[in-house]
Amino acid sequence: MEQTLGHESTLPTRAAPHAARPARLNPRWVWGGLALLAVAWALTQAGLGERALVNPGGWVLVEEFLRAGLRPDLHPEFLRLTVSASLTTLAYAVCGAFLNVLLGLLGGVLASEVWWQSLFPRRAARAPWLAVRAALVIPRSIHEIIWGLFFVNILGLDPLTAILGIAIPFGAITAKVFAEILDETPREPLQALLNNGAPPLPAFLYALFPPALPNLLSYAFYRFECAIRSAAVLGLIGAGGLGYEILLSFQALRYEQMWTFLWALLALTGLVDLLSGLLRRRLGMETRYTCNDWEAAPAPRRDPALRAALLVSAILVPLAFIYLRVEVGELFTPRAARLFGDVVRDSFPPTLNPELLTHLSHATLQTLALSILAIAFAGVGGLLLAFPASANFLRPGGILDTGRRPSRLRQTLSLGVLAFTRAFLLICRAIPASVWALLFLFVLFPGLLPGALALGLYTLGVLGRLMAETIEGLDERPLRALKTLGASGPQVLAYGALPRTAPHFIAYGLYRWEVCARETVVVGVVGAGGLGRILQEQLSSFDYRGVATTLIFFIALTLTVDLVSATARKAIR
Amino acid sequence: MTEPVFELDNVTHRFHGPPVLSDVSLRIDTGERVALVGPSGAGKSTLLNLLNGSLSPTQGAVRVLGRDLAALSAQALRHAQRQVGTVYQQFYLVDNLAVIHNVNAGRLGHWPLWKSLLSLVWPQEVEAARQALNQVGIPEKLYERTASLSGGQQQRVALARVLAQNPVAFLADEPISNVDPERARELMDLLREVCQTMHKTLFITLHTLDFARSHCDRILGLRHGRIAFDVPVSQLTTTMVDELYRVN
Repeated sequence: MEQTLGHESTLPTRAAPHAARPARLNPRWVWGGLALLAVAWALTQAGLGERALVNPGGWVLVEEFLRAGLRPDLHPEFLRLTVSASLTTLAYAVCGAFLNVLLGLLGGVLASEVWWQSLFPRRAARAPWLAVRAALVIPRSIHEIIWGLFFVNILGLDPLTAILGIAIPFGAITAKVFAEILDETPREPLQALLNNGAPPLPAFLYALFPPALPNLLSYAFYRFECAIRSAAVLGLIGAGGLGYEILLSFQALRYEQMWTFLWALLALTGLVDLLSGLLRRRLGMETRYTCNDWEAAPAPRRDPALRAALLVSAILVPLAFIYLRVEVGELFTPRAARLFGDVVRDSFPPTLNPELLTHLSHATLQTLALSILAIAFAGVGGLLLAFPASANFLRPGGILDTGRRPSRLRQTLSLGVLAFTRAFLLICRAIPASVWALLFLFVLFPGLLPGALALGLYTLGVLGRLMAETIEGLDERPLRALKTLGASGPQVLAYGALPRTAPHFIAYGLYRWEVCARETVVVGVVGAGGLGRILQEQLSSFDYRGVATTLIFFIALTLTVDLVSATARKAIR
Repeated sequence: MTEPVFELDNVTHRFHGPPVLSDVSLRIDTGERVALVGPSGAGKSTLLNLLNGSLSPTQGAVRVLGRDLAALSAQALRHAQRQVGTVYQQFYLVDNLAVIHNVNAGRLGHWPLWKSLLSLVWPQEVEAARQALNQVGIPEKLYERTASLSGGQQQRVALARVLAQNPVAFLADEPISNVDPERARELMDLLREVCQTMHKTLFITLHTLDFARSHCDRILGLRHGRIAFDVPVSQLTTTMVDELYRVN
């Protein structure tokens, strides 16, 4: 076995006890194999190799569409429309994110173990705690767009439809995350106050919230980023704003106008991503979130930028409510109550005829395949693009660079690659998956594939950014240590950068798969099939008993995906 | 005569400001065990980083085995760096890799890329890695995750990585400032043993004098970026030491 060790002289050898080589059949390999099998299965579901998937006639349309990107409609009147649509989308996001935080705070306290322990210190009050956590599962499993479609049926195209569509599922996710943040915050100061006889709520405000605040705030800002994207998607169901205008101009084949809206959406998303990223970096926690999870971060310092952000938020929130002319009273009119009661009554009992059940089982498998293909595409793409999209990769002194003298050429080239990959990732995530799906339908026959590619491309934008931020957060010193012992750039990548980032990549990938399973609805409604399509049909024909059945299948699917993802993450940790 | 292992010629180094090292000249020969001592902020780590090529001096020349590091191409620099193995205070291991990969990381300068990639999937030169771990006394940890080891054991892995690298000279940057006295003695014994039996050169920064006296044969005092003294251990006097650590 010893090949090229080349020790001229070695120490007198002590008898080495043999450490047995561990078995090849470890959890990582097993899960890796399962993942490959899953992708292969999903590809057969998409009809790969069975029927024609590409429609060659569509390239003319793609070309026409792309050309239009260079000459968007810039007439002053049209620009005014674009600005007002952008403001509408922004306002939906602001209102939705604000309600999200309120719901998240309320739900977060109620769903935290520490709250119930403070309330009933003598009994282990697990029952109410578990009940609240279980109650959060359902709103969290249902995508914004389904909530939106549901509220359309009750409130019509009221601004509240979009706001609640965002706030309810977001609030449930935020409540879960807030609860985990509160539970992970050190409890000793709280315990000290409680022992001195302080009531639970003030004790929380004095001893638990202040240390938890940076984490809570940081997550709230992150949610705002997500809210912008959701606000655009919700436009598609008719709630107005950029998403709505994009769909209208697409249907009218006015590509120049569509591009004006797309560029506006790109600018809005880019700006919000940038600001929120900067703020989270100031708070000392840039790469810690996926849409479902968080990691504890070190406490940050006081920061003027943070205060400015809070002040701006305090001004923006009331402005957004005024701009959209939100009438919260609409929610409590007798008519809304009656309609709501009707919907609840009409949903029971769920339809259980065998025909529908078979149909739904098949659609559930299709949806699963769709989510697997999307995350596989995004994962592979993310792995390839995240490194070039990180500032510390190609640049002089970066991971790949082992020379010490920065050359002008290298500097320019690396900046070019960095800007290009980042812009590409931004475009991927700024354009909603449903719009990507419309574009893929130019050249692909309807089916799983265009949906998977659309969702995959969008997820690639999000995942690639998370991965790049992970790479940029790498501790450089171990990498430098490898360089000083004579390792080449690719070797530093293989022995330093990849091993340190891969576990995060896999965890992020699995989280995003959970999100993908929910987002299948978004591409489903534009014809990519699966449960989303069926749900939309049932909702628009007011078949609530059918909706209830479909939702049961959908929730079962998302919970299964969550469970598999959590098990995999634990197994390969 | 034989080439010195390290040679510094009128080296001055500054990071944005007053020089951290001023006009340092130095020559270290094969088999010497040199301790670099001095108050914190004297420039010890900077000097060490100049010797392993991770820094380039602002003025003057650093030669390793006769080659001026600043004049080398990236590849030739890597060649020279292979001959110098550094043990860091914070180890700088990749802690979610198995121990064997961290030890084999020492071989990266000798391995072609395909072999280093293959080894991550199918460990290569296992016997050599086991031997290196055996030398530092933890052969049974070969396949464990580095993160699961104690601090003292991780330091041994870091040392095994340098053993696998098989350089001409060992550099160690405050290797014992984070461990308890017993571990410190074990590690210093180990370093001395390795250098003596394999006839390697040792250059170590320390902030206590005891181990410098007991384990090295030459002591360099660094104060305010200048060499205050450079003497064999036997000639070190209390006056020199007092002068070195004197507070202004």
